Amino acid sequence: MIVELDAIRGVSLDTIYDSPEGKLIQTCIQCGTCSGSCPYGEYMEYPPRRIIKLLQHGLIEKAFDTDSMLKCVNCYACMMKCPREIHLTEVLLQLVKEQTVIKLPVVPAELQKALENNYRYGNPMGESGRKRANWVQTTTVPIRILSQNPEPVDVLWFVESYPAFHPRGQDTCRAIAKILNALGIDFAILGNEEKSAGECGLLSWESGLAEALVDYNMAIFSKYKFNRIITSDPHALDAFNFRYKMYGFKGSITHIVPFIMEHIDKLKPMIHKTLGYSVTYHDSCCLGRHNGYYEEPRALLKSIPGIKLIEMVHNRINTLCCGGGGGGMWLDTYFKSQNMERLSDRRIREAIDTGADVLAVACPYEIPRFEDALKVAGYDKKMVVKDIMELVSEAMEE
Amino acid sequence: MSKTNGKIRIGFYICHCGTNIAGTVDVQKVVDYASTLPNVVVSKHYKYMCSDPGQEMIQKDIKEQELNRVVVAACSPFLHERTFRNATSQAGLNQFYFQMVNTREQNAWVHLDPEASTDKAMDLVRSAISRVVFHKPLEQKTVPIKPDVLVVGGGIAGIHASLTLANAGKKVYLVERVPTIGGHMAMFDKTFPTLDCAACILTPKMSAVKNHPNITMWTYSEVEKVEGYVGNFKVKVKRKPRYIIDDLCVGCLDCIEACVYKEPRFHDEFNQGLSKRKPVYMPFPQATPQLVVIDPETCIWFKTGKCKQTCVESCERKAVDLNQQATYKEIEVGTIIVATGFKPFDASKVYYYGYGTYPNVYTALEVERLINASGPTSGEVIMRDGSTPKSIAIVHCVGSRDKNTNLWCSRVCCLYSLKLAHLLKEHTHADIYNFYIDIRTPGKLMDEFYTRMAEEGVKFIRGRVADIYPDTSDEEHRRLVVKAEDTLIREIIKVPVDMVVLSTGLVPRDDANDVRRLFNITCSTEGFFIERHPKLAPVNTFTDGIFLAGCCQGPKDIPDTVAQAGAAAAEALALIDLGYIELEPNTAFIVEEECSGCKSCVPLCPYSAISYNEEKKKANINEALCKGCGTCVASCPSGSIKQNLFEDEEIYSEIDGILNYNIYEEAVCC
Repeated sequence: MIVELDAIRGVSLDTIYDSPEGKLIQTCIQCGTCSGSCPYGEYMEYPPRRIIKLLQHGLIEKAFDTDSMLKCVNCYACMMKCPREIHLTEVLLQLVKEQTVIKLPVVPAELQKALENNYRYGNPMGESGRKRANWVQTTTVPIRILSQNPEPVDVLWFVESYPAFHPRGQDTCRAIAKILNALGIDFAILGNEEKSAGECGLLSWESGLAEALVDYNMAIFSKYKFNRIITSDPHALDAFNFRYKMYGFKGSITHIVPFIMEHIDKLKPMIHKTLGYSVTYHDSCCLGRHNGYYEEPRALLKSIPGIKLIEMVHNRINTLCCGGGGGGMWLDTYFKSQNMERLSDRRIREAIDTGADVLAVACPYEIPRFEDALKVAGYDKKMVVKDIMELVSEAMEE
Repeated sequence: MSKTNGKIRIGFYICHCGTNIAGTVDVQKVVDYASTLPNVVVSKHYKYMCSDPGQEMIQKDIKEQELNRVVVAACSPFLHERTFRNATSQAGLNQFYFQMVNTREQNAWVHLDPEASTDKAMDLVRSAISRVVFHKPLEQKTVPIKPDVLVVGGGIAGIHASLTLANAGKKVYLVERVPTIGGHMAMFDKTFPTLDCAACILTPKMSAVKNHPNITMWTYSEVEKVEGYVGNFKVKVKRKPRYIIDDLCVGCLDCIEACVYKEPRFHDEFNQGLSKRKPVYMPFPQATPQLVVIDPETCIWFKTGKCKQTCVESCERKAVDLNQQATYKEIEVGTIIVATGFKPFDASKVYYYGYGTYPNVYTALEVERLINASGPTSGEVIMRDGSTPKSIAIVHCVGSRDKNTNLWCSRVCCLYSLKLAHLLKEHTHADIYNFYIDIRTPGKLMDEFYTRMAEEGVKFIRGRVADIYPDTSDEEHRRLVVKAEDTLIREIIKVPVDMVVLSTGLVPRDDANDVRRLFNITCSTEGFFIERHPKLAPVNTFTDGIFLAGCCQGPKDIPDTVAQAGAAAAEALALIDLGYIELEPNTAFIVEEECSGCKSCVPLCPYSAISYNEEKKKANINEALCKGCGTCVASCPSGSIKQNLFEDEEIYSEIDGILNYNIYEEAVCC
């Protein structure tokens, strides 16, 4: 399903029609599954189906006169349901989005700022890069930072920006550190040397910002010896798995959830506490739809005694995006100005409908987005948003 | 005086096949080259060698140039070897003095470089010209064909083929896996485009099968083993125990009434699980034969060994036999018709359509049962939640035309969707929305049917359904929202409906691969059996004497299935009425003076064609049984077994020819 990198290396909108991907695009039957699956399809003048038709007829320029593709949140819903297996999210829509942003009269300020911050500070929130590893001081377990101790290490933990700087992200980090330490994993982080992997600032793989961050992180990786990389951010996972490989990255990258599942037999005896929560799990687009991890997060949750798992209406391949991908994290204000519903608001209503105590997530964007949405929804029963790692850590308490 | 004077005189011809060959291979160059080869006296090219003028050219040359060997480079021998052999023999030359070179399928069609392709053609031609020198005149043997026919599968295809053959006076064995014949057609309510009641047109044929003196109907039975070859198949059939003695059961149903399960509680296969049955049951009212069956998977006696056996007691005729065992029947037939049918696509595989999650999402086959007067609701459209729908979405192409599931269009779904739209509207007066990608209604009266549905007010929305989920604005969350892009209005629409019908495509049966192996036929990667030629041999298989009918070959509607079943029956009849088949004379024979009688070949023969003559102390090969596999030839320690058409000198000269070893200057005619 995932596109062959060689098939699209270096393609642009001008050359895509002659590429192997172009052959797929020619087979489009205009069924509209893409537009119907798109969470913002109803707000687009040119939803994915029409983008394909424009391309087929050589009229793609028309799409740049609108902001349609700016509304694409990279959720992979269209791509995963496409009966012709056209790699919409991975290839075509990215290219159109890039041109859309270039030709917009005004780039939405929030997005502009996030992109600039990524470029200047290596994180979209504009925090000082020198504070990136500050959260380490708040943990009780030892965490090795490679710049201080560059000995070879088994597992390099790529922390990413939201976990490193956002207070709720830091909660997840502390939980992960505790679990890795308890499992006896030989791990280390890059600390202040790390910069954003670039996925979310990456509106297209051609952008200079993307290349700058890719070059930077690749150079840092080459300084140290490690066997594999783990991360709790599915967007970073996607960046390394997909974009970085186009630039020659050859490492092995695993999301924290499947990584912990590899050690589940060792972990289980360390789980002492029964958590009497009913939990509903939100499939992150990048972790689930794009990388196929639907069952591992559920299996990890079920390994915690007392947890009752309830599914939302939309789950697994049919999950509803939180709206944070593809730059959506920094377009909430813009979308609101267009009278568009915030996708996290849409999703939180499904979570509330389950009556669960906890909304479990496995992506750092989702905690602030859903906590915010919960406030807006005015839900009177108490529901909390937690990363799966926080729940595991809680269950490990004596 | 004869020109041959004991010499080999070869005529060589290369076919253009329009541009199929000549577009790639330089035929003039091949002709010029062939004319330089030893023994070649005629070398020509022609636009279509298989045409009458082409064949006449060969015949004229045989007579005038006194040719005694013929080589034609054209298409596959599979297509035209017989044509040229006939032409050769009609000119008075033994047909086995002919040799064919495949320069189309194995050359022109698969190569792009004309020069290399021409070189390859010349190599192949040299090889054949080298080989044909050593050919010998051979005679074709004939073996009689057994007139009985095996039909596998008792759906409408198997039923129609059986009746056609039986009415022509042939004895037919009809083997059906489940307890009744009728197949999927028996489950349908009405049939498109004429809206005939399926049962009304099918059940007379079912009872005709049951009562026909020429048909032996074995239901609840499976073919276990097939041996032999065209005209002479040996088949072993397993008759599974019904736990009912066929001859005694009169279908009174007293045993069902008497069963210790007072209420039916098990999945009723015929009604797609929309109703329940007991462990002892009649599949449906018109089931043929009218025999009950006891299902050992659900019967408490078979599961625990403890039961009052009230069914046994209740039967006045003592027809219930819980100790019944499987029996095996061995039959000999000359031809076989495979009509094993299809299964509907498993709708739960398209996860986002909610089948199996939301009770009011139905498959089309379930709806057939729901609107059928003899169905679980007696024809009233009452859904799983007890309500009657006021609005219904029919979702086309479920599992079809989709790389994630099946690539093919199942051909019947558009039309059965239209039919269901009509019937559901008739039963419920509901608003009906058809979500489609393309409406495909080819065939007689089919598009007229589409027009009629439009006139009846069925709504058509062009867009493949992207999502189905419960309507949260509906208090009880019963109603479902169907989301799609209406690609013609260019809007994303969300249509709230009470019921969703998934028009699932047709897929091969799960065991298609096992069936393929059993009958030594072929199937495509998706699992439909492959016909010998898509246009010119649509019911034949690559195994002589085995024919295909119905959806096991690919999705098709009832008229096409019946037409194909008739065609398969006609093909079988053509063989049977000829009475014999000609065998390729590629059999092995013993050179008795050299045979040492070591017997090593006897156990090696896969067809048990070799016996040992105690008197002569020599091996003996039965030509009628020999299939020409060559195993014995290769194994004989004294080299005293030879095989017609594949004698050592023929094979060696063919190899020398292709390697361009110029081992002979002139050969002497034998």
